[in-house]
Amino acid sequence: MPPKKHESGMAYNMVRLNRLFAFLSFFLLATVLWVFLDDYIRPWKIVQLEARQIERKKLDEQIAEEEETIDGDKLQGLERELHEARAQLAQRTGEREEISDSLREIQKEITAETITGGRLNALSADQNYRYEQAQGHGANRAQVERLRRDLLEYRRQFAQSRERMKGLEGRQKSLRSQLAEISAQETEAQRALDEMLRRKNLLELARNKTNSDIVFFVRNAPFFDFMDPTLRIEQLVVDTALDDRYFQHVPKVDRCITCHTFIDRPGYENEPNPHRTHPNLDLMVGAEGHHPMKQFGCTSCHGGEGHRVNDFVAAAHTPQNEEQKARWVAQYNWHEPHKIPQPMYKLQYTESQCLKCHQGVEYVPEAPKLNAGIQMMEEYGCYACHRIEGWEHKRRPGPSLQRIASKVTKEFFKNWVWSPKGFNKQALMPSFFMQSNNRDEESVAKNIAEVNAMAQYVWDKSQDYSPLDTYTGGDGARGKELVGQIGCMGCHGVEGFEGESRQVGARAGPYLGNLGSKIKDPNWLITWLKRPDHYDPETIMPSFRLTDAEAQDIATYLLSLKNPGFESLVFEETDEAVRDELLIDYLAAFDTREEATRKVLAMGPHEKDLELGRRSIGKYGCYSCHAIEGFDGLPPVGPELTEEGTKPLTQFAFNLQHTVEHSRDGWIKAHLENPRRWDDGLQKDFKDLTKMPNFNFTQAQAESLTLVLLGFVGEEIPLKGQKRLDEYEQLWAQGQRLVNKFNCYGCHQVDGMRGEILAMYGDDLNAAPPRLVDQGRRVQTDWFYHFLEDVHPIRPWLQVRMPSFKLTPEERNTIVSGFQGKSQQQTFVELRPELNDALAWISPEEEAEAGRLFNALVCASCHTQGYNSDPPLAPDLRMTKRKLRPEWTKVWLSNPQAIYPETSMPNFWENGESLAPDYFGGDAQKQQDALVKYLYHRGWEKIPLSQND
Amino acid sequence: MKSLINTLADPIYSFPLFTLLFCLGIRYYTTVGSKKFALLSLVLCLPVAGWFLADEQFIKIILWPDNIPISILIILIAVFTWLPLHKAAINDSRIAAGNPPLEALPQNREKVWVWPNLVYTELFALIMGTIFLIVWAILFKAPLEEPANPTWAPNPAKAPWYFLGLQEMLVYFDPWMAGVVLPGLIIVGLMAIPYIDTNPKGNGYYCFQDRKLAITLFLFGWLVLWIYLIIVGTFLRGPNWTFYGPFEYWDHHKVVAAYNVNLSEFFWIKWFNAPLPENILFREIPGILLTLVYLLALPPLIAKTALGRDMLEKTGLVRFSIAVFLALSMASLPIKMVLRWLFDLKYIIALPELELNL
Repeated sequence: MPPKKHESGMAYNMVRLNRLFAFLSFFLLATVLWVFLDDYIRPWKIVQLEARQIERKKLDEQIAEEEETIDGDKLQGLERELHEARAQLAQRTGEREEISDSLREIQKEITAETITGGRLNALSADQNYRYEQAQGHGANRAQVERLRRDLLEYRRQFAQSRERMKGLEGRQKSLRSQLAEISAQETEAQRALDEMLRRKNLLELARNKTNSDIVFFVRNAPFFDFMDPTLRIEQLVVDTALDDRYFQHVPKVDRCITCHTFIDRPGYENEPNPHRTHPNLDLMVGAEGHHPMKQFGCTSCHGGEGHRVNDFVAAAHTPQNEEQKARWVAQYNWHEPHKIPQPMYKLQYTESQCLKCHQGVEYVPEAPKLNAGIQMMEEYGCYACHRIEGWEHKRRPGPSLQRIASKVTKEFFKNWVWSPKGFNKQALMPSFFMQSNNRDEESVAKNIAEVNAMAQYVWDKSQDYSPLDTYTGGDGARGKELVGQIGCMGCHGVEGFEGESRQVGARAGPYLGNLGSKIKDPNWLITWLKRPDHYDPETIMPSFRLTDAEAQDIATYLLSLKNPGFESLVFEETDEAVRDELLIDYLAAFDTREEATRKVLAMGPHEKDLELGRRSIGKYGCYSCHAIEGFDGLPPVGPELTEEGTKPLTQFAFNLQHTVEHSRDGWIKAHLENPRRWDDGLQKDFKDLTKMPNFNFTQAQAESLTLVLLGFVGEEIPLKGQKRLDEYEQLWAQGQRLVNKFNCYGCHQVDGMRGEILAMYGDDLNAAPPRLVDQGRRVQTDWFYHFLEDVHPIRPWLQVRMPSFKLTPEERNTIVSGFQGKSQQQTFVELRPELNDALAWISPEEEAEAGRLFNALVCASCHTQGYNSDPPLAPDLRMTKRKLRPEWTKVWLSNPQAIYPETSMPNFWENGESLAPDYFGGDAQKQQDALVKYLYHRGWEKIPLSQND
Repeated sequence: MKSLINTLADPIYSFPLFTLLFCLGIRYYTTVGSKKFALLSLVLCLPVAGWFLADEQFIKIILWPDNIPISILIILIAVFTWLPLHKAAINDSRIAAGNPPLEALPQNREKVWVWPNLVYTELFALIMGTIFLIVWAILFKAPLEEPANPTWAPNPAKAPWYFLGLQEMLVYFDPWMAGVVLPGLIIVGLMAIPYIDTNPKGNGYYCFQDRKLAITLFLFGWLVLWIYLIIVGTFLRGPNWTFYGPFEYWDHHKVVAAYNVNLSEFFWIKWFNAPLPENILFREIPGILLTLVYLLALPPLIAKTALGRDMLEKTGLVRFSIAVFLALSMASLPIKMVLRWLFDLKYIIALPELELNL
């Protein structure tokens, strides 16, 4: 038997157990400390410490700056004064001390008297209660009387105490003023010095708050920092947006400002992030801006996990590009955030989030990138194939095909459909065929059959149309000149004006190139130019009131543009076997192949073409953009995009495209660049190939569109957070829809927005279509309405023409009230009776003097109409009465350049000084008032109808 | 090599392999239980584990915060399976030589004080456990997943790790069976062990020879039918609960051909070329009969074997029947798995009308 290792009853050596226990206890203590440290050391604390240093540096700089502004001599003088005053004061020390002693004595008595008075007051109040109780509840008379006597006694004593107090206070006051008088000079000197140093002292006080002193350390020390730490998580709780917290939507909590310390404080624009000031405080974040951070938070626009401050990655920061990503990986150990439904938006896409609150408007103010994207979406017509809530009012992006047979040849139609960009590079119509997924022999043969059949269908359904006018030919050179002058380029790019077309970038109408190879019948073009709605009643193309000669000239020019290569194309014939096969495939969806084959073979060739054409138009969704008979009321061909921005990432099929970034914006951008890429490497049947056509977007274009799509979110926004249009804004939202639909924006810049054609005129803006500045405040309701109905030239020097749009009265009203809403003006404000009173002459002398002033300023040298027979250089002043609003006219007179810097109208009252000081005593206000009255008295009661009608 | 391992890891191969390894281990438990074997396997395992961990995909799955307990579990299981086998091997050889087992030696039978021998050491374990949990919690954060969304379930949607064996069973059984009946039987069966197993041998000492059947059956259920399934469920089941090899990227689009057919459809349509009978019970008659045979006819047959006769004699009819029923229920899992792999069999009895599928 082996020797016993341990004492009896013991399995272990007790000493060793104790040692083990000691070791474990120490280890446990160490882990507990580790827990505290792990909890205590947070990345954001380091950031806040940095921020303290930056703030301190800033304050030091400000203090130094402030010191420089302080006049040293003056400071010395003040200090000397103070010194002298103190010296003088020192001589009267005995006197001062005597008074001070008396003051102390009085103070003692006042305190004693306060106690006495306070007691008496309490006693009389108490007695009063007893007395009233006794009186009111029927105690015996004697008792009531006794209580009353006592009450009166207390009151008397209290009144005496008050008297004594008044005496004491009076003496105290006089002693104090004696004392103040003695030290008046010193006090004054001190005050002046303080005044001078106040800002500096305040800054120093602020700087002292950044001292790393013992208080700072204690407040932030572990264990103590639960009380009132200076380093702490700062948060915003906003009720304008919601956080999704596990089946519960709660007010959004954003703690971004924990690290982005100075985000709302100007002055830190040049600090490195996260200490930088927000780049646009007036619009965002700033307390005075449109979206103060306390009200809107941060992640409502930026996305990401605003409540997480563990570290840089936890907040779901997203790098803008590969380069930044690499930097972040090195600097912050950045990686893809774990299971975050919406990581932060890349900086270039942040503007998309404006859309989630700003609904029901065409454009969002101060969001240039977003608006550019929206505009591009309108141009390319994404909304036609994809339903987007709030975009239903937009027009069809493609022209109607209901009378197409009279416009182009069938051969042209087929070749165009096959390759729009082959006809001209600028074509907006996307490419369906010869793409990366249907370039193989089988697909090409089937596509040819489909295109032939679609053409057959469209031609079969095309209605007869005969043009009104006849083409006789004209002067092509003159035609080209006209095209450049009259304003075609506000909507169309035009061949022969390549540079200008690029500058303007107009996309509302098709690119006018190679028309000679496109238009079948010149008579059609003449009619179209003169009366676009004759061919297509739905078109937005306006009439330019062209004369016959002008129309012939322009048509001659346009028809001279040709694309001989395209013209010589002959579209391949359909292989009938392929056509049959396609039809059988369609029918076999529900029938057996045998049955389907039998049915197809029973059809005639024409019937087959019609059937395949109808099915192909439905398959490719041509009807979504073009009006085609037989497709009324069908839903658009593409999937809805209303909530694309919140579609779960798992629902995006990346297929074999491993180079595409695995994010929502990565997919959308790649999709826009080449929608057919997803088919690469997949084995798909012909009928299942991706059909979304290729728009050949550039990277920049794709990014711009991606931005808008990311803004189409299905997020729930509380009413408080949504932008709710007021009465005026609603009017403009309606008006802007039409302004946008008819592309008024193409020529007119409206309060700084768009006006693409202006780019063509460079610095010579006076020759361009007028910019509309505060139009609703400028013109009268009636005039505006009738002008839109019957356009007449106003500015005689302009070559560009305001075209005549075919607007319904309702549309005109909407546009007019829209502009008035935009300027926050009431309709028919010009009919207010008091306005007429204001425009009435006070005296015949005033009227005569106004006439003399009018002559002195030689207004009629430019505004000749009605005054002399010189060619006019400026608008007809007789229109003023019925055209302009008087208040605006005066504002205009007072400084025309403030409204249109480019105008040739002189400013007669530069800096309020009249150029004609001899009239109305040289008073600018009176002169302007008088001129306005003059214009309104001399104006036409009714503006004559234009000569066109 | 990696693609071979990816293929072999598929339950179709890995389950039989694992079962085979288990049987070999039990058959040669003296070898497995030797220190030499343990050392050798450790030496062999380390470089292999290193090679596995060098793989990007494998390390990603291993370091997934939810999966760390499984890695710890595997190591613990290995140690605590080997240790009793080791002790049993020693004792069995002693008993065979006519010596008492180690635990029965006088110095090991001496009584000691509860304090400090038990309570004090329990406190140590407590402290060590606390330290371990704290360090784990600090080093591996437990991040939240995305907000729950009833229309957007996470994929793969996994149960807590200790339920992954049950979730794996769902692949082969109707939710009723895998989620309610079988787990119920497991719990009841485990509770019933002390009442069924009346063998007095093996009390207070490690041994194998004295309790061959009990140990083999339990370890089979524990290691092969529970632990193995948890490992598969954790490491080898990815999106859509599809099988992914240890080095295979979890591609959401992976598709596995699985078209399963009921026994009744095999029986009536494929073999008899007849339409399915209207009467649902009649329709499922082959499955019902098979199940009845399995549950009612097998026990008497087992009782005829030497082992069965011996057991019946020692424990009595009631205990014997319960034990055999439990063992048969346990065996139904591997049987069903094999039938699925070999014949794409969906259900033996398919009565969705009664929500009863087997």
